[in-house]
Amino acid sequence: MKVIHELSNIRLRGRKTNRLTNINLKIYSGEKIALLGKSGSGKSSLISIANGALYPDEGHVLFKGENIHRINQKKRQKIATIWQELLLIDELSSIQNVNCGALGKNNLIWAIRNLTGTLNPHFSSLCLLAAGLPAVYHNANIKLLSGGQRQRIAIARMLRQEAELLLADEPFSNLDPTLVKQTLNLLQSRTLNEKVSPPKTILVSLHRPDLIKSFDRIIGLREGKIIINKSVNEINELDINYLYS
Amino acid sequence: MKWLNPTILSIIPALAIIPVLILIGQGFHDGGSYLLIRVITSAFNPSKSILLLKSTWDGLQITVCIAFIGWLLSIILGFLLGLISSSVIWKILNGPKICAPLMRKILSIPRSIHEILWSLLLLQIMGLNGLVGILAILIPYSSLTARVISDQIDTIDIKSLRAIRQTGGNPFSIIITAILPKIIPLLISYGGYRLECSLRSATILGIFGFGGIGTDIQLSLQSLEFNEMWTSIWIIGIFIILLEHILGWYRRKFCFSPQAIRLILFSPIIGGIIFIACIIRLKQLDIDILVSPNFNSIYWPSINEIINAINELPLLNLTFSTLILTIFTSGIVIGIPAVGILLWPTRYGQIIQSSIWSIMRIIPPPLTALLLLLISTPGFAVAALALSIQNIGIMGRFLKEKIQTNGDKKLKAFQTYGVSKNSAWLYGCLVENSSSYLSYAAYRADVILRETAIVGLVGGTGLGWQLMESLSSFNWAEVLVLITIYSMLTISGEILSKEISNFWLLDKYKAYLQ
Repeated sequence: MKVIHELSNIRLRGRKTNRLTNINLKIYSGEKIALLGKSGSGKSSLISIANGALYPDEGHVLFKGENIHRINQKKRQKIATIWQELLLIDELSSIQNVNCGALGKNNLIWAIRNLTGTLNPHFSSLCLLAAGLPAVYHNANIKLLSGGQRQRIAIARMLRQEAELLLADEPFSNLDPTLVKQTLNLLQSRTLNEKVSPPKTILVSLHRPDLIKSFDRIIGLREGKIIINKSVNEINELDINYLYS
Repeated sequence: MKWLNPTILSIIPALAIIPVLILIGQGFHDGGSYLLIRVITSAFNPSKSILLLKSTWDGLQITVCIAFIGWLLSIILGFLLGLISSSVIWKILNGPKICAPLMRKILSIPRSIHEILWSLLLLQIMGLNGLVGILAILIPYSSLTARVISDQIDTIDIKSLRAIRQTGGNPFSIIITAILPKIIPLLISYGGYRLECSLRSATILGIFGFGGIGTDIQLSLQSLEFNEMWTSIWIIGIFIILLEHILGWYRRKFCFSPQAIRLILFSPIIGGIIFIACIIRLKQLDIDILVSPNFNSIYWPSINEIINAINELPLLNLTFSTLILTIFTSGIVIGIPAVGILLWPTRYGQIIQSSIWSIMRIIPPPLTALLLLLISTPGFAVAALALSIQNIGIMGRFLKEKIQTNGDKKLKAFQTYGVSKNSAWLYGCLVENSSSYLSYAAYRADVILRETAIVGLVGGTGLGWQLMESLSSFNWAEVLVLITIYSMLTISGEILSKEISNFWLLDKYKAYLQ
């Protein structure tokens, strides 16, 4: 298998201690990886380093062999992120927010047209439906929506981007059990949909060890260090207990 | 109306610049273009003669002293007036209900007249006296401060005060414990902002002949000594920029910290010392503000004269042109900073833009108007552009600060997936700040309406221009009529701007536009 994303020798300093130490991680094309760890173990920092939002103090991140801070816009569009705080734009409707996923592919005029609401909403609607948000909410004022509904908009925005790699920071935190299952199926590409296809390679940070069966590989973070890096079949309860103790 | 949203409405008004530039182009005359080039080149080569620097230094001190004295008195007076025009305070004191709204109505009159108009009126009454400049700042500023203070107090829910009342506290201890902490951060941030305004006003007063660095600027412009003019502009400019930075730092550090309360207790002492120092320094510079002025008897026009004035003045026309001037200027002022940051969002672009806005903020509008007259004929376009320049600088700074305080997390998130800088700025920064930007713009438009008075003179348009004509021909009937209309116009403008401001700020627009 081909390495699509690589973090090597990453160190990120915090105020007093290192937030991340000696992180080495290769993500292979098509892999589904779960990132486990307690709150404050460095999951969000690792994702922000991986997508290039943060600069590491040491080490580098390579996407398809190129330094992530030097790749062109076109390549960057292949990396999608679902942020823990979602980073939706409260002033816009659901559809307009989903369209934001395609901002990279389009120019400023398109961006302005999205603001005025004069774009064809067809594809974004499909993404929202795939993410499980019913059509009645597609033009809603998103400030009034629930946490779970907003989460689905963020997922739809990611689908709209049509990326190859997904980095997701606790994307299930606001969802009820049915929706978690539905979203997991969607991310595993088990839900067949002709037009909307999720990224093939995914790295998802999780709070819930019960969900790991849906993934191929488990990465465990503790105090900013990778302490588990195993295939899901090799994981046992001891590993999990150690991670959360 | 679906396509109308705050972001689009922050960008579109920039189109107002097009007709204004076309009109400037049409009025273009070559007569002064070589002078204008000299003005621009002199900016980079200000005069450095020792004699000039010394007199500019004296001028700066006069302006700063006048600004400080006027400002300090206006804050104290405004604070007291703010208390007695707040309905919450009257409720605590169990006073009659009518007092607060009545005080508010009365106080809207002094602030409806621009400080320059006050200075020209006071000049007629008191003669050329050091007090004129101070009073001209004090009168409108104290009622502006009073409005802001009472607005802030009235946001306090009266029910929350009952708890304190039940502990048996007397009304004054309620005011001190419950209300003072709410106003102190406002006093620090708004008070600081007013000090900047006061300094700008004192400079403009100088341009109208009331002494200080503004007068130096005006005199060197009249004698076409542009290098000398720029020495004064740079000095006052650097002073204003320094003050902006110090006040900005002060705001960030003390506005929301418990130290603020302690600091406020010390500031009357510090303020008092600087106040006395200013008076002494002004006296050393031959401006004695402690001598009682000789009041001239005011000539009150008869009813017949007033009716004649109403009949003779083209009032409708003048009002209309004042409003058009306000609308176009506001459009330019709202749109240009937003478009600027949208089209040129790179790091260098931002640095260059904020430096341009800084320079624009330090050039007083009457001066811009005079400079524009070198290449274009007097009229609407010159007035609009002159008024725009300084206000663009102020709006540009507001937008920049707003974006800074809201953080760049979204902006960075957009950039992680290859969104172009322009689109990332549009969505990551402009969209979420545009409704508060428009809300501030509504307030700015209100200021612009008042300021039409000062460029009216040089721009040859609107009520301001006619007012200056009538003042200089001592036609008191006309002056009275024009000032009344001006006041009515700005009072309505103030009410309208408050409504529009709340429309954007309190999300009321969503009911209409989505």
